[in-house]
Amino acid sequence: MRKQSRLYGLITLMAVVAMLAVACVAPVAPAAAPAAPADTEAAAPAAPAADIKIGLVTDVGRINDRSFNQSTWEGVVQIGTELGLVEGEGFKYIETQDPKDYADNIQQFVDAGFNIVVTVGFALAEATNAAAAENPDMYFIGVDQFQGEALPNVAGLVFNEDKAGFLAGALAASLSKTGTIAAVLGTDLVPPVVAFGAGYEFGAKYINPDINVTTTFHPGEISQSFVDPEWGAATARQALDQGADIIFGAGGQTGNGALQEVAAAEGAGTTLFCIGVDTDQWETLPAAHPCLVSSAMKLLTPSVASIVQQYVDGAPVSGNYFGPTGLAPFHDFEAAVPQEVKDKLAEIDAALQDGSLQTGYVP
Amino acid sequence: MTSAAPTATTPPESSPSPESSNAATNRRILDALLIPILAVFTALVIGGIIMLIFGDNPIAAYRGLFSGAFGDARGWAATVRKMTPLILTGLSVAVAFKAGLFNIGASGQFIMGSVASVAVGINFEGMSPWLHAPLALLAGIAAGAIWGAIPGILKVYTGAHEVIVTIMLNYVASLFASWTVYAGGTRGQSTGPLWDPTAGARSETPDVLASAQLPWIFAPPYRIHWGVALALITTVVIWWVIYRMTLGFEIRTVGENPRAAKYAGMKVNWVVILAMIIAGGLAGLAGGIETLGLNHKFATEFTGAVGFDGITTALLGQNNPFGVVLASFLIGAMDAGGTRMQFDSGVSADIIGVIQGLVLAFVAAPLIVRQIYRIHVQVKSSSGPGWGK
Repeated sequence: MRKQSRLYGLITLMAVVAMLAVACVAPVAPAAAPAAPADTEAAAPAAPAADIKIGLVTDVGRINDRSFNQSTWEGVVQIGTELGLVEGEGFKYIETQDPKDYADNIQQFVDAGFNIVVTVGFALAEATNAAAAENPDMYFIGVDQFQGEALPNVAGLVFNEDKAGFLAGALAASLSKTGTIAAVLGTDLVPPVVAFGAGYEFGAKYINPDINVTTTFHPGEISQSFVDPEWGAATARQALDQGADIIFGAGGQTGNGALQEVAAAEGAGTTLFCIGVDTDQWETLPAAHPCLVSSAMKLLTPSVASIVQQYVDGAPVSGNYFGPTGLAPFHDFEAAVPQEVKDKLAEIDAALQDGSLQTGYVP
Repeated sequence: MTSAAPTATTPPESSPSPESSNAATNRRILDALLIPILAVFTALVIGGIIMLIFGDNPIAAYRGLFSGAFGDARGWAATVRKMTPLILTGLSVAVAFKAGLFNIGASGQFIMGSVASVAVGINFEGMSPWLHAPLALLAGIAAGAIWGAIPGILKVYTGAHEVIVTIMLNYVASLFASWTVYAGGTRGQSTGPLWDPTAGARSETPDVLASAQLPWIFAPPYRIHWGVALALITTVVIWWVIYRMTLGFEIRTVGENPRAAKYAGMKVNWVVILAMIIAGGLAGLAGGIETLGLNHKFATEFTGAVGFDGITTALLGQNNPFGVVLASFLIGAMDAGGTRMQFDSGVSADIIGVIQGLVLAFVAAPLIVRQIYRIHVQVKSSSGPGWGK
């Protein structure tokens, strides 16, 4: 009997706590709700620079992924700071937990009266365009979202990854002594990774048609393929054992694993080199310094900032915006790359940019 | 089996012939609810402490969580939407538990169900919606059931432990599903059979035909579809099967004591396989409903994570079908409110995963909760919320 009464007492206590919690919450929620639409009305028309509010919705993943989400967010932070906005007020982000939430997460910014929403990754394209059609007063930037039919208020920020990959392949083939080079890549379920890898192969063959290129994609499912540095390292090791002397690592932490394996190998920086991806990985991955000769870059951060700036200036981009791609500086290996290779790379880069040279990659 | 059953909401756990006394029944319901409620409460408190350690404001976070899940119509819609697949994967795990089996494979069964439903959903143009949608759902159930039957059969005939086999089959299912939508590589590898040629380099299926889609109850932006009703009906059916049918009695008996069941003349092997078939079918149905009702296609980013969350909802729901619904509601609300919590308070939605993990730990190890709150275990506790008891 005693036990039972104690049990009831406990339940009562819990109920009281629960009611208190609800009492705390309840009055606040409705108070907060009407505030949001009021904001929308104030901010949506005209959008003078001072009223700019930039929201970012990530792909499934973290904001500090040292890759895609992070580079895009850095662009938002950069332009937001330049415009004198405060993080959390003038610009903020939502990390997506579940691919089914894209629309809801975008809606969160719509409800809160944001006027620019940046969405990261091709998976968000559908949700982004739907939200754009519903909210013609707002402006959307879709990173990696190729626009088939252009909406007036959507800019699709896309990159020719194959061009960056082509340059990386040309560099690799020029530096290789063994005649074998390798690429360790994230999954081929993601188009930009495929483009990087294909460009790399074509670029290498362009310099040396007889070169042996070993391209390996992570075989796992999409949730594993960018976060598997052990596999990246093991695959890089295997490539080294087969005589490869230049390794291109492209695929988030998986690629980073490959770069670090090369960096730790004997001969790193003298006979063995590695090439990073996306950003200048000299800045983001110090552990790869011993071998990192360059990186195949897609310049996300400045592109995002520049698109927002053009919107603020009253000349918003719509349709596809091709962000710049290219090779990162050689840093400590400036001397290791012969001048004629540098000249050749500059020549290829120019030809790729003006269209007189095609990479050969067909998406 | 007996007339003294209490009204629907929370039927007593376990003992096949409930005693009649009202007080005893109430006591048992209370007892069954106690551990889950305390587990959630404790997890929220510890989650709050973790937020404090990281310099976040737990009050603001929980306020955001609450208003995100229940603050407006959209929040409610998100909660219901998140809850739907959890009910079915939770039931899947719970039914297996009843037979003394630990189904870690709801995730793989969910994925196989999704793929099969899509395969039917994108074909058969011109079929009547009254035929097409049910056919696609049946395909999902069948695929999940087959995927569930494999570990059941292997357990019975080779002694392979279902935990190991189901975990392995999760990987197989996930990779198989990726292959079916594979867009091909750079060297002319062949594409997957369900891949949408108009998707270019993207690995995904076409949208399922309108005739195979489950209609909306509340159209976008609310996105609530008839799958919710299906999930609730399924809950009642499963409750009936488990507590009112001979098969359910056999499943429970095998779960409690396989030797006694054998001695009583039950075909233990068959019951084990059948329980896994039902479990797999439920998870497959979840996949079919999510695909035909919500996603309308299959792509590699749609993982079977809800299959694992089903373990949480089954344990939190004390393996009772209606308990699973309550638990799914709670977990679904946490998932739904996470975005708003992030938005309002700046607390990373990862904390939701931490809290759910703590809930799982506390319901899986009720002794911790009993120790914290100094609840003494009665010698003959009919509600010992252990594994499937």
